[in-house]
Formats: sequence, C-alpha cells, structure tokens
Amino acid sequence: MAMSLMRPGGFSYSELANAGPVQHHFSPYTDNGGSIVAVAGKGFALIASDTRLSTGYSILTRDQPKLYDLNSNTVLGCSGCWCDVLSETRLIEARMKLYKHEHQKEMSPGAVAQMLATILYSRRFFPYYVSNVVAGLDANGQGVVYSYDPVGHCDQNLFHAGGSSGALLQPLLDNQIGLLNMEIKPTEPLTLERAKGIIKDVFISAAERDIYTGDGILLKIITKDGITQESMKLRHD
Amino acid sequence: MFLTRSEYDRGVNTFSPEGRLFQVEYAIEAIKLGSTVIGICTSEGVVLVVEKRITSPLMEPSTIEKIAEVDRHIGVACSGLTADSKTLIDRARLECQNHWFTYNEKMTVESVSQAVSNLAIKFGDSDDDEGAMSRPFGVALLFAGVDEKGPQLYHMDPSGTYVQYDAKAIGSGSEGAQQTLVEMYNKSMTLKEAVKTSLTILKQVMEEKLNSTNVEVSIVTPKDNFHMYSKEEVEEAIKDVA
Repeated sequence: MAMSLMRPGGFSYSELANAGPVQHHFSPYTDNGGSIVAVAGKGFALIASDTRLSTGYSILTRDQPKLYDLNSNTVLGCSGCWCDVLSETRLIEARMKLYKHEHQKEMSPGAVAQMLATILYSRRFFPYYVSNVVAGLDANGQGVVYSYDPVGHCDQNLFHAGGSSGALLQPLLDNQIGLLNMEIKPTEPLTLERAKGIIKDVFISAAERDIYTGDGILLKIITKDGITQESMKLRHD
Repeated sequence: MFLTRSEYDRGVNTFSPEGRLFQVEYAIEAIKLGSTVIGICTSEGVVLVVEKRITSPLMEPSTIEKIAEVDRHIGVACSGLTADSKTLIDRARLECQNHWFTYNEKMTVESVSQAVSNLAIKFGDSDDDEGAMSRPFGVALLFAGVDEKGPQLYHMDPSGTYVQYDAKAIGSGSEGAQQTLVEMYNKSMTLKEAVKTSLTILKQVMEEKLNSTNVEVSIVTPKDNFHMYSKEEVEEAIKDVA
C-alpha cells in the first residue's frame, strides 16, 4: 500500500486538496454612523450634523461633528466610514487650495459640488463610503444644497437628510419643508428661524430611534455675512 | 569670447551671459512677420479683427482661419506661424472643457491664458516628455472673452508671458496700430465704435483695400457669447469705415 505523501507540517497533500473552497474576505469599510441635515432658503443655508461617532454598539466619541467649512460660503457634511471621511475631506481641502491659487478666486458652491461629483466618480470601483451633503450660498446669495450617492451622482435640492438617519428624516423634511401632500400650505416662505427649529426637531426624533445618531448636534448657518454656528444637546444614551 | 550671439542662439534653454534666451527672442520676432491682428475690449464686449493675406487669387480665402472659438464665451486670434497656433488653440479648448467638466462653470479668460502659457513654455523639455516642442511656438495670441469679471482681452507671446490689455495689436502692422490704439481708445467706447475703430486702424496698416474676404471680424459679448461675423456682416462693418 502506497503511503500518502506527507508535508513537514503533518498535513497530507490529499487532505489539503479535498478541503474544499476557502473564501477570503476583504472588508475595508466600517460604518461609523452619524447624520447630516441641510436646508436651503432665501438668503441662507443651514447644515447640521450630530456629534456621535460609533462602531457597532460602541460609542467612539460623543463629540465629533461631521461638518467642514470649505470656505466663507460653503460647508460640507460627511458621515459614514470615518477613515474615508478624513481622507475625502483632506483631498477636497487640497483641491480647493490648488483651485484658489490657479484661478485666483474662491470656489463657488456649484464648483465644489461638481468637483466632489468627479472626485467620487473617480473612485467608482472602490468608493468612499460616505454620505455627502454640500450647503452654501450661490452667486445670487440664495441657499443651495447638493446631495450625493457614494459614486458621485449629484442632486441639487432645497433640503436633504443623509447618513444613518437619512431614510428616517427625509420623509419628515418632505412633509415639513417640501409640504408634500399638504392640504393647507403656509403662504410665507421658509424663514431661517423655522428651518432651524425643524432641523433641531428632526434630530431629536432621530436620536429616539437611531442608535447611530445622538449626543448632540452642531448647526452651521451660512448667510452673506459668513458662517455662524450653534450647538444643541441630544440624548446621551 | 562668449559675447557673440551665435554662441548662445542654438540651444533653446541656454541663457546667454547677458541673461537672454535668443530663440525666444527670435520667436517674438517671427510674430512681426505675421499678419496684423487687433483686439479692443469695451464694457459691452470684445472685438477681434484680423488681416488675411490672400497671396494668390487661386487661394480659397475661407480656409485661412485666424480667429477661432475656444469655448462659447472665449475666442482667440493669432498672428505668426499659424500652424503652431493650432496646438495652442487645441490646448485652450481642452482646458476649457476640462474645467467645465470638473467645476461646472466657465473658465475665466485669465485661467485659459495661464493654461496655454504653461504649454507655450514647455519647449526644450526632455525628449521623453510627450507633446513638448523642441522650439518656442512662433505665434502670439489674443484671447477675447467674457467671464464673471466682464469682457476681457489677454495677449500672450511666445515666451508665455500673458498680460491683460484694453486694446492690443500684434503682427506686422502692430507698431503703428498700437500707437493709433493708444490715441483712439477710451474706456467708454461702445462695441460698435470698437469694431469701427479696429477696422479703421487695420485699414491704415494694410496694403490691400479692406473687403469681406481679406478681413475676419468676431465679437464676444455677454449676451451672445462668441460670434464670428458672416460675409454680409463684415461688408456692413466695412461700409462704416471711411
């Protein structure tokens, strides 16, 4: 009887050959949660994020806003895979500096929006796992909001909710700001104060149901006078 | 022993002891052999007029193209070795489209001039640099356009230097034409007056009589962007010129 060939480790080659298929995993992404809400109005744009950063059932920090002032009239909100957020925002920052030196002017929110779309699409097959929302004031001083899918499809909206509570909050905004399916509609346009109130309310709602959103919010107010900010506490559990 | 010009006018990237690059200077001289081009910038828009040298009656005049559209809002006129200008104009067009693709906005006239100047000074780079020229480009360009800063006119020469002008003449008749421009230009000129002025000056420096085949006229305005005059429009414009 022929002995089966033995490897030094003690496995027989036939054993290895019969072990069946082995699946190898590559999981480069993690979801660190966080939500972004942005609203555009006449002469203002608002963008807010929560301040919780988490992984699974653990909270990494309760004090990490996800908003980035890109220039005096544009703010970017990013949530999702935190390492991708860091990498993407630094790339945007660098690209904006290059633009400023090359063209001797600040980028408009529209230019930032299109550039972000091309940056995201350039990683079509290894995307940044990030929900992006750009809020700013256009050349006419009107508020604009741009939202994205992970591979760079860009939508211009009047309001948007993104991140872990995006699906929870978007219908709320559709109702309260978009006034969809409303029988009686208010006559006056959305004011900054009302938009601010809606944003704070929807974040309180999100913190009730979404464990990845909570702790607090940071709210940036973009007007022709520049960017100011407010913060508010949310559920701490 | 190093003082003779012939020692230092061979390499394109060797300075002479006096600090000059002779090949670049010769290239600038080449512009003075080219046909005359005049550009005037007004608050209503920019006008470009060029002389077309019809050297033979058998020549098809419409195939001499000295004014080209770079993008909807920018036109360019060239004088010198027109074959060289094609490469530069191609680059200008490419940069404009790239800018639109990446930023979804019109490229400014200054940025286009900057981008083209980057190509203009890429001569004499190492051989493995794809697309680099072995000598300076033998053309000067006038970029006329309208961007967020309003109507703009930029001049770029073979050294890659670009400067904004209210009014500029290049080519063989440029010396006389530039002097007349200084006398005739004023900031409150209308576009119509600018067309007339530029044609009047062109007429002075041209040997032939002005007609719709030996001049090209184009305007760039905020409303209609780049517009090349048709034969009829050119005839109409020439009528105004005494």
